[in-house]
Amino acid sequence: MKTRPVFLDLFRIGQPIGAIASILHRASGLLLVLALLVLAVLFEYSLASPEGFAAVRQILAGPLATLALIVLAWALAHHVLAGIRHILMDTGTGWRLAQARRSALAVIVTGLVCAVAAALALIF
Amino acid sequence: MAGGERLLGGLRAWTWQRVSALYLLGFGLVLAIRLVATPLADYAQWHAFWTAPPMATATLLAVVSLAVHAWVGGRDVILDYVRPRSARPVALALLGLLIGLAVARFAVALLAALG
Amino acid sequence: MRFSVYRFDPDRDDKPRMQDFDLELQPNDHMVLDALLRLKQIDDSLSFRRSCREGVCGSDGMNINGRNRLACITELRSLREPIVIRPLPGQPVIRDLIVDLTQFFEHYHSIRPWVVDNRPMPEHERLQSPEERSTLDGLYECILCACCSTTCPSYWWNPEQFIGPAGLLQAYRFIADSRDQALDERLDFLEGPFRLYRCRTIMNCTEVCPKGLAPSHAIEQIRKLQFGRSF
Repeated sequence: MKTRPVFLDLFRIGQPIGAIASILHRASGLLLVLALLVLAVLFEYSLASPEGFAAVRQILAGPLATLALIVLAWALAHHVLAGIRHILMDTGTGWRLAQARRSALAVIVTGLVCAVAAALALIF
Repeated sequence: MAGGERLLGGLRAWTWQRVSALYLLGFGLVLAIRLVATPLADYAQWHAFWTAPPMATATLLAVVSLAVHAWVGGRDVILDYVRPRSARPVALALLGLLIGLAVARFAVALLAALG
Repeated sequence: MRFSVYRFDPDRDDKPRMQDFDLELQPNDHMVLDALLRLKQIDDSLSFRRSCREGVCGSDGMNINGRNRLACITELRSLREPIVIRPLPGQPVIRDLIVDLTQFFEHYHSIRPWVVDNRPMPEHERLQSPEERSTLDGLYECILCACCSTTCPSYWWNPEQFIGPAGLLQAYRFIADSRDQALDERLDFLEGPFRLYRCRTIMNCTEVCPKGLAPSHAIEQIRKLQFGRSF
């Protein structure tokens, strides 16, 4: 018997706002985990000696590092906000569809706002 | 139901994920406020900030929480996406290695600064 | 009205294709199912499941303009043209808009969808107060149309091991039933990382349920009970 096809074209299946908040929650988490090792090394050097501290400061001032920090700032903001939304839903707040949609939008928007704020703070 | 299911546990992992998240949230808020409020212009101030006993203890706890939280989250991603099923233990081991190395580094850096 | 319909004939096609139609609708063609029946008059080979035509049997769940709905209660005028009709996502397509829901029903059976009470028969009926009965509201109305489970990303990635929103909602329907005596066993069955705990509360299920139910909330209630008895 032939293998039966499956319809799973993600670009043709509409994703509600909650699903978008959710996939970004996962993506931001992955970004943060990947960044962990780098951050650990930077932390280690900054704490080890005055030279290390100065070196880390200089690295973080560079354009590539600044961009990375902005992305990580977004990742942290979105991940934390989406996480708070989940914990609130666990305790019974905002589980209804209308509320859940609003909170998902709020999380996405606030995360982006935080990223913009971080960008402004880092660049100026 | 296989014994393995009970060991890995859905409820247990879910609970640890929430507990570690709450601790990290609290720690993060306090850290953010203190970072903004404390002058950290040079190495001496930076060093003093992190090695003060309450801060150091809270940070070590945060590092452990981070390991737990990242492990549960990363494991969920692996259980969702990694195929075939036989590849999962390998992926989980790699995840454990990545998190373990990072977390060990954080902890060692802090302990070295203290000692 | 313009339609684009997913076609797959296992005897003729190697892979699925989309077939476009331009349909002259009659005045009392209101729902997508009415249109599908007219399309079948044009092309008799078009296959789909349908029965009650009023949204209670759950037969005609399909993906319409990117969203899982029941064809018989989805109004044509609410949809943008061309109306794109595809089968429920993630399930093997038997033919055209008909998918294999064997696994979906296996998950349903696995949660033991009946009241378990092995105590000796009482002299009168097993009573249930109106308050106790009201805990089943929002749960008993499920028509097993599969719109929710087939829109759940967690169910897409792990259909063999994750029970899915429909099965879990039904599990809660029996967990919540005051007459059922198997609470601990039911909660035990749903521990472990896969059966329930693949759920990430994405909430696609609740978004899509044609009966307005909230599987994500039912799943949360199960977690609450599991948590409560463990700590």
